Order: sequence, then C-alpha cells, then structure tokens
Amino acid sequence: MTTPKIVKNATGDHGLSEKGLKAGSVGLIGAVVIGISCIAPAYTLTAALGPTVSEVGVHLPAIFLVGFIPMLLVALGYRELNNAMPDAGTSFTWVTRAFGPWLGWMGGWGLIAATIIVLSNLAAVAVDFFYLMLAQIFSNPSLADLTRVLPLNIATTLVFIAGACWISYRGMETTKAFQYILVAFQLLVLGWFAIAAFAHVANGTAFDATVISADWFNPFAVGSFSQFAAGVSLSIFIFWGWDVTLTMNEETKNPEKTPGRAATVTVVVIVIIYMVVSLATLSFAGIGTTGLGAGNPENQGSIFAVLAGPVMGPFAILMSLAILSSSAASLQSTFVSPARTLLSMGHYKALPGSFSKISPTHKSPSYATIAAAIAAAGFYIITRTLSENALWDTITALGMMICFYYGVTALACVWYFRAEAFHGVRNFLFKWLAPLIGGVILLVMFFKTAYDSMDPSYGSGSNIGGLGLVFILGIGVILLGAVLMLIMNWRHPEFFRGQVLSRTSQVYNP
Amino acid sequence: MRFVVGYTANARGGDAVNLAVALARSQGASLDLVMVLPEDSPYNGAYPPESGFESILAGQLAAWLDEGLALVPADVPAKAHIRRGESEAEALISAAVELDAAMLVIGASSTGPFKRFSIGSVAGALLHASTVPVVLAPTGYSRTKPITRLTCALGTRAGAEDVLRTGIAMARRRPLPLRLVSLVALGADDAGATVDDARNHLSAVAQASRGVDPASLDKLDIDVVVGRGRTIEDAVDRLNWKAGELLLIGSSRLAHNKSIFLGATANRILRALPVPMIVVPRNHEFQSDELFHTTQVPVVDAAGPTEVSK
Repeated sequence: MTTPKIVKNATGDHGLSEKGLKAGSVGLIGAVVIGISCIAPAYTLTAALGPTVSEVGVHLPAIFLVGFIPMLLVALGYRELNNAMPDAGTSFTWVTRAFGPWLGWMGGWGLIAATIIVLSNLAAVAVDFFYLMLAQIFSNPSLADLTRVLPLNIATTLVFIAGACWISYRGMETTKAFQYILVAFQLLVLGWFAIAAFAHVANGTAFDATVISADWFNPFAVGSFSQFAAGVSLSIFIFWGWDVTLTMNEETKNPEKTPGRAATVTVVVIVIIYMVVSLATLSFAGIGTTGLGAGNPENQGSIFAVLAGPVMGPFAILMSLAILSSSAASLQSTFVSPARTLLSMGHYKALPGSFSKISPTHKSPSYATIAAAIAAAGFYIITRTLSENALWDTITALGMMICFYYGVTALACVWYFRAEAFHGVRNFLFKWLAPLIGGVILLVMFFKTAYDSMDPSYGSGSNIGGLGLVFILGIGVILLGAVLMLIMNWRHPEFFRGQVLSRTSQVYNP
Repeated sequence: MRFVVGYTANARGGDAVNLAVALARSQGASLDLVMVLPEDSPYNGAYPPESGFESILAGQLAAWLDEGLALVPADVPAKAHIRRGESEAEALISAAVELDAAMLVIGASSTGPFKRFSIGSVAGALLHASTVPVVLAPTGYSRTKPITRLTCALGTRAGAEDVLRTGIAMARRRPLPLRLVSLVALGADDAGATVDDARNHLSAVAQASRGVDPASLDKLDIDVVVGRGRTIEDAVDRLNWKAGELLLIGSSRLAHNKSIFLGATANRILRALPVPMIVVPRNHEFQSDELFHTTQVPVVDAAGPTEVSK
C-alpha cells in the first residue's frame, strides 16, 4: 500500500503521540447518538417533509426508504477513501487524487456549497422556531409572524450565523452530555408529535384524516421520473449525516464492530422515526394544498412550525425547543466542515493562502471560518430576497448539491481503487460496485433535477425571467465555482498544473 | 530545574518566552515550550467527517514552536513539545506535572488594551486549578535579563506561608534580593498599619511556616514594606517597582490543597501590577532540596523605600 505524500506526521520532531486521547472513548450508544445528532431528524423533517410531499404526495414513506439506498452505497465508498487518505479536504482531495485538479476543485466546491447552503437553511429554520417559541412563551401569536418581516428575519438570521461562526472560531464544542440530551429530546418530541397526531386521527379531530395504505410504500407508484428524482435528491438530504457513524474508527471502543453496528442501529432508529412521523403527518393533515395540508405551499418551508400547534396543543413549545436546539447545535458543528475544506484548499494552493490561516489563540481555521459565515449569510440574503419561499428552494437546491459532490466523490472512489477492485469480494463490493452504483444514481438525480428545475413552476414556483429559482441557485453556485476556479488558475496556477497534489491511485499490493 | 512555557504564536507567547528566559537566567533553569493540540470531541457532531485537519494543525503547531524556540537565546536550554488535550489549561498542567516543572509561564491575554493583565480563558483556568506555580507575563514584557528582585505579597490570611517559603527558596537558589510587602487599603479608617505591624505579621507568618526558622529571618534582615493606598490597586501603584522585579502571591482559602485559586485581593493586585507575578499553590513546596540547608543568605535590598509616602 502506498502512503500518500500528503499524509505525514509533521510533528515527529516535537513528540506528538500518534493516537489521540479520545481513542476508544465512544461506545455503541455514543456512536448512535453522534449519528442521530449529525442527521438532526427534527430539523431535517421540518425542512424536507413538505418539499418532498409536494413532489411525491402520499408516496413520501416510499421515497424516504428509497433515498437511503444511494446514501448507503456512496457512504461505503466514502469510508474507504477516508481510511486510505485521511485528509481535511475530503472530497476535494480525493477527487483531485483520482481525476486531477479541475474535477477535484469542483468536488471541493460542491461540498463547500452544500454545507454553506445547509448553514443558511439551518439558521433560517432556527430563526423561524425562535420567533414561534417567543409567541408560544408569551401566548402572543403575532410574535411568530415577525419572522415574515423581511428585514427583521434577515437580521436575526445573520445574528444566528454570526453567533455560530464565533463559537466555531473559538473552537468550542458540544459535550457528550449535552449531545445525549439534545438527541433524546428530539426523539421524544418527534414521538410525542406522532402519537398526538394519530390520537387526533382516532378521535376524528384530525385536519384531513387520511387512511394509511400499502401503496404509500410503493416507490414505483410515484407519478413520473421527474418527481422520483426530485424526491430522492431530497431524501438524500434527510440521511445526510448518517455516514458519520461508518467513518468512526479509533475513537470507538471496538473499531472492528462498533462503527458497523452503530450505523445499523442509527439507520433503524432514524427510519422508524421518519416512517412514524411521515405517516402521522400524512394521516393527520393529508396532502391537500389548503389549510394545514402537507401539500400547501405555505407550509413547505417548515412543516412543524404549522402542524405542531394543532397537533400537540400547548406542548407545541417542546417541538419549537427541540428544533431550535438541534438546528442551533447543527449550525455550530456544521461550520467546522466548510471551514476545514476551505482551509485544506488553501493549504494545497487551490485557494489563496489566507484561507489556510489558523488562529494562534483558538487553533481553528480563522479566515476560512469567517469566509464560510459570510458566504452563508450572503447566500441567505440573496435567496430570501429573491424567493418568497426561500427555505423550500434552498432545501431543493441543497439536495441537488449533495447529489453532485457525493456522486463525484463516489466515482472518484471507483477510479482511485480501480487496481484493487477485482481482487477479492470485499474490494469489489465496497471499493467498486457500491460506490459505482451509488455515484451513478446520484449524478443521474443531479442532472435530472437540474434539468427539471429550469421550469419556472418547479419547487416553490419562484423564478427569475422564466427560469426556475432552484436551477438558478443550484447551477448558479456551480458556475460561480467554475468562474472562481478559472480565476484561481489564472492567478495561482501551481495547483492546476498538478504541482501540489498529483493524480494517483491505490496500487494493488496484497 | 525546568520551566514549562505555555506558548502561543502571538505577542502573548513572546511575552511568556521573554519572562521565562529572564526567570531561567536568574534561577538556572531550562525551558520547555509546550503547545496544546486541541482534540475534537467526537460528540461535537462535525459533519461531513474528516480526519486530516489534525495533521495540518500539528504541522502548523510544529512550525510555530520552531519560531518560539528561535526567541530563546542560546544560553538558555530549551525544548519544544506538542501535547494533545481537550482543555488547553488541563493539558498545560499535566505537561508541567509530567515534565516535573517548577513553574508554568504564560502570557496574559493581549485582548485588554487598558490593563497590563487581562486574563484570558486559559490563564483564567490555570489561575484556578494549576498544581504548579503559574507565572503571568504582563502584556508587552520584553526584558530577558535576569530577575532583579523578588517581592512577596503577604496577606493576613492563609497562603502567606507558602509565598514566604517559595520566595526564600527562590532567593536562596540564586542570590536575589527579597522584599516582603503588606498591602493595606486604608479607606475611611485612617489608622493604618506600620512597618512594625508588618514585621510582627511577618514573624507570625514565619512561625506558622513549616521549615522557616523565625530566628533566621532576623539574621536575613529582609526588607519589609507596607504599601498603602485608598484601594489595593492604589497601594500597588504607590509601591516602588524595579525593572526585572517579580511579585509572588499566594492562593485563596478556596484553593484545594497543592493547587492554585486566585483570590479576590490577588485579582485586584493583578489589575494594577506593572511587573510579572507568580501565583503559588496552597501548601506548595518549592522544588529545591537545598532549601534551608544552605548557608547562602539572600541579598538584602537596602536601597528600596521602607514605607511608601502617601
């Protein structure tokens, strides 16, 4: 096995031990908690449930189940790459190694764009529930409407982004106990919501009681391939985070078994909660496009903001608290990722050197963290100004972006390990077949969604000059990346000439 | 003897290195520059997962430590270490304990523009938990010549004996003038303390101190000063401070045995203090086996004022 040049222990001189203190500190339950916290189910459901219903209607449970398949396939490849080339740049570095600097740069850009978009969406969801919670605390519904006052909404969102950026910059982290409480609270509240919704259905007090049918679980009953593709790219988003359990390694008490078991338990817990909550939502509210209906465009941005009150009554404040806490915690931890990818790109001269600056006091990426915050704030301001239903459009664009960078990363895995692929069943399955199928599915979803989203009526129906806003956001961000890449090539060409990170592949060496 | 320097790659780290060099030159010690590599908590839930940031960061720390070592003059032996830790303060304390360091030198936070000492979060944690004496370098400390005088701030509460013992031990290790100070905030009650009161207090402290022979103090003829002012800060201001002076101060009653807890008065002294300060843990035994077995007598500083005029 070759050791990539980039992976070196630069600190041999000053006696840093190879293993961290954290080695062997996470057990099975801990790993499951970490997995669920990365998924943040309360947040993903409120953000993605509505947009998915608007695409696939009652087949929501089917699409949620199908969406897990490409996620699983790609995550297997991601794990192989992470083991072979541990690097802060992740997708950027791996795609560069496999396909050269140009695709590598775009892969990194896709990852950064996805995390920037999710940051702005997380902040916006947190702000919605912040005002909703104020309204619930003071029993004054007009406070909840403050989030619709554009300047106030933008200002509050920027405050949330700035706060999370500051915490991340200071290097503060969520502790074990806090994470356990957050996760348990989320699961408890989601369960409560589902039980309350079913109780309303049983009592005949539901908004639009709909009888659950087996057809809801049939993905082939979805009307068209366009809807299917849109639904899958949204359900990639709801499982985004799950793969963290697979990549856990020496920090687990039993690196041989814990990650695999944790990944299994996490996905079982998550699928159960997703199924129960989506069935509860559909049975309670139906997919009608008026009132509380899950198909009502007014409700798409944040479904629980609308349904928690009617379903849970006075206890709806718990839902606000669960979503506010989980999205605020995710907001802070998600800042780590784009900052480190930007830092890594600066480190390899794919971005100006200032991106690789590290704060001497807090030992966090200083320039890159602030850059990520400015980008997330800018993205939110633009989307919120252009679209009346910014949350809906950003989630759809986010699904597209995840499909893009995950698809490219999966194919990079296939190409990087090509020499090993046909030596042994394990190599064939994990390094070749799974990422190949997963990557192809995701890229097909990406191109199909991108093509469909040109339609002005796509998603929330926001459009500019007859071109769908989701298309403009998604493709616009990718084109912006391409332009920045050309500028970078013109100003600092070393990286693009392959002088910093060269193309390579895993040599078969049993 | 070894001193651990909690190094940071900024002006504050430079202050700490300068002070550590001054101390090392006056005490005959070697330096260990330590930087802490923060450990990601797996429970932070950073996503997407990556495992390479640490190696970039470790490379950066190594480069910073090389810069830090370059600040140390050739006559002072120095080494560098990278330690892992979730908490920087905790990692520095355990490094100091493991390296058997006599002191832990850090720079005060550089963020407070109006004060000499503005305590950062790491310094703050060290000042309330360290089991090793902590030396705080004031902002902009640039002197690397040996320490010229030790001043022990002796309060009326527990902790004074620790300060006295450590001060005498340091002064005996290498000949250093010693000054004992009682600070008095007069306030409305203008009765005031006299030098005699302070001397009486000193001998009381000496009697209470294990290993200090009160009779020897008379022989040493240590300079005793009462600092007066409207407030503690004022009293500190009115004292005469030499260039290269160092203040020793004890821990509050709240301190656990053998560890530091910076008390309220010490905090107020810190705010006005123009010189570096050493905070001594409760019941601390200074590392020196020749302590009180030597014939070396501390040099008495005769020139200093015995009482500061109001």
